[in-house]
Amino acid sequence: MNAWRTDAVFDPIRVPLDRWFADAISWLTLNYRPAFQAMKVPIEVILDGVAAVLAWVPPVAFIAIVAALAWRWAGWRVAAFSVAAFTLIGMVGLWRLTMVTLSMVTASVLVCLVIGLPLGVLAARSDTFRGLLRPVLDVMQTTPAFVYLVPVVMLFSIGTVAGVIATIIFALPPLIRLTDLGIRQVPGDVVEAAEAFGSSEREILFKVRLPLALPTIMAGVNQTIMLALSMVVIAALIGAGGLGRPVVEGLNALRIGQAGIGGLAIVLVAIFLDRLTQALGEGRRTKGA
Amino acid sequence: MIRVESLHKVFGPRPQEALDRLAQGEGKEEIRRATGHVVGVQDVSFALEPGEFFVIMGLSGSGKSTLLRCLNRLVAPTSGHVWLATEEGEVDVAEVGARTLRRLRQEHLAMVFQRFGLLPHRSVRDNVAYGLEVQGIGRAERRRRADEVLTMVGLEGWGRSLPAALSGGMQQRVGLARAIATGAKVLLMDEPFSALDPLIKVQMQDEMIRLQRQLGRTIVFITHDLDEALRLGDRIAIMDDGRFVQVGTPEKIVTEPRTAYVADFVAHADPTGVITARTVAVAPDHERVDELRREPGARVIAHRTQADVEVVVGDDGRVQAVLADGARAAPTPVDELLAEPIPRARGRDRAPVVRGDRTLRTLLEARTRVNLPLLVVDDADRLVGLVTERELIHAIIEKRGQNGDAATEPAVAAGVVA
Repeated sequence: MNAWRTDAVFDPIRVPLDRWFADAISWLTLNYRPAFQAMKVPIEVILDGVAAVLAWVPPVAFIAIVAALAWRWAGWRVAAFSVAAFTLIGMVGLWRLTMVTLSMVTASVLVCLVIGLPLGVLAARSDTFRGLLRPVLDVMQTTPAFVYLVPVVMLFSIGTVAGVIATIIFALPPLIRLTDLGIRQVPGDVVEAAEAFGSSEREILFKVRLPLALPTIMAGVNQTIMLALSMVVIAALIGAGGLGRPVVEGLNALRIGQAGIGGLAIVLVAIFLDRLTQALGEGRRTKGA
Repeated sequence: MIRVESLHKVFGPRPQEALDRLAQGEGKEEIRRATGHVVGVQDVSFALEPGEFFVIMGLSGSGKSTLLRCLNRLVAPTSGHVWLATEEGEVDVAEVGARTLRRLRQEHLAMVFQRFGLLPHRSVRDNVAYGLEVQGIGRAERRRRADEVLTMVGLEGWGRSLPAALSGGMQQRVGLARAIATGAKVLLMDEPFSALDPLIKVQMQDEMIRLQRQLGRTIVFITHDLDEALRLGDRIAIMDDGRFVQVGTPEKIVTEPRTAYVADFVAHADPTGVITARTVAVAPDHERVDELRREPGARVIAHRTQADVEVVVGDDGRVQAVLADGARAAPTPVDELLAEPIPRARGRDRAPVVRGDRTLRTLLEARTRVNLPLLVVDDADRLVGLVTERELIHAIIEKRGQNGDAATEPAVAAGVVA
């Protein structure tokens, strides 16, 4: 009688999902680890390339370039902010870690673009594909990062590349969703006009759909960048370098100051990238409206 | 130029079933209830001469937009043929493969849209050049041609602007320029002026008439506005429920509506720009024209409404003299009279001579200057008939001519009953 009122009601049947899950990961690791390791290679190449460039550029030149870009795209306020922010970052001694973080974010976002744009385009074209993709994106976005950190480490081992992969998993969905949305929102009459003048599917995609969806796609890029930055600390847990390190170490050793400036640098970089990419999207929007 | 043969369009998963039912004489509504299929276009056929301005007119839901889209297969016809004349002979747009279809759209069938359909991120010039770009024409050449056409539609100097910087009327000029620039011989125009303000709309219609005189393209023009149809069309097709109810010249549509549906439409139309002089005039042998006497080589006639004016018609059919108030009134081309300001009192010293294809409006304007019967003549200057105020009033109120009365009246009466 009492058994019905408590969770003992489930006792007769136990679903060992936890074991299946562990077994699946072990099986993947045993049989396909080389394949997963091979997947790291292109990411590693991009990451190393970006990191090398950022490490090579003298800080003063970097700040000048950043300020010039910000001025051109987002106005003098953002330019002034970026000069102040990066100077401060340099002065608190976090320049090199910031460059590592920037290269990780850049590499993640580049890979997200390469994967996300085509998937978004396909999702916009086919309702079936979109239906299949949606739950996958939901899982990617809502699964707490700590849950997939262990499988990622088992399959890709630890380090910055593994951190980038974890970042990609988390940061990819909004780009796909907003690419899909942007393309679906392109007015039908414009597409019809392009069709009426004998455009091929390809021409309609590149000359009409993508350009008109660009403001929305840029909003997706902005979201992806923000999510990538929010993963910096978590990625540091599996051995990724960058600004996450001082935060994690500071946390472990209760060095509040160290964790604090690490966090501040992340926020400054985030604000800078957000304003810059938003301005890019809006510039297109006002130009396009 | 373009020849459409028993075109059908049925929307739904099994259109053949609906077609079979149509063939068995079932109505559109019956089929919709029985099968859920919507019949958009039902057995439409027509053929256009090169340079013809063909207007398809109907209310929303009449299937006119669907029909237009069948012509370039933006909507695939369910059955029937769309024969298009090209350099390689006639091709059936409904049957060709995807690649040929694209080429036909690029080079032979350009389209203008109600909502303009411009690319907002491209400059006006690049919008106009879009069709050429898709054809694979080089940048310099397509820019040159785009600028040329922009000048033609009165948008010189706007090439670098974005469409958003232009007013609605100007945007539609861009749409028009884009269609003209491809060099397509056939222009498909889907209610191109319906989204514009009334004044701009009339301006654009004038512009269209001017351009068509210059370019001589074959045009299929969709509208729900009868006055627009009457102004622009060489021929008008009235469409209802997916079918052509009547096809004819604007004048025929207005003066001889075949069904109650058409009659309802034209009831509020302005006939003055449509009805021609030869329709309004009473022939010399009409019962209202009396032969007063014969002279050597000529006869003298008078219209009963203005019996004091005598017209001397030679045996060759030409007017020799007009006698009013005991004096001779000189036969004078109507345009000469219209060039003068309206006098305080209407003269009786000159008799206006009008060709048969001039409109009722011209006749009315002539009558504001002269109080004599108007002499309507054919191309060889032979008298076709006379027009007095009686005929003018009749034409405006009844929207009908004098000679075909007996033939048209029963048709309209039958239509009203049905």
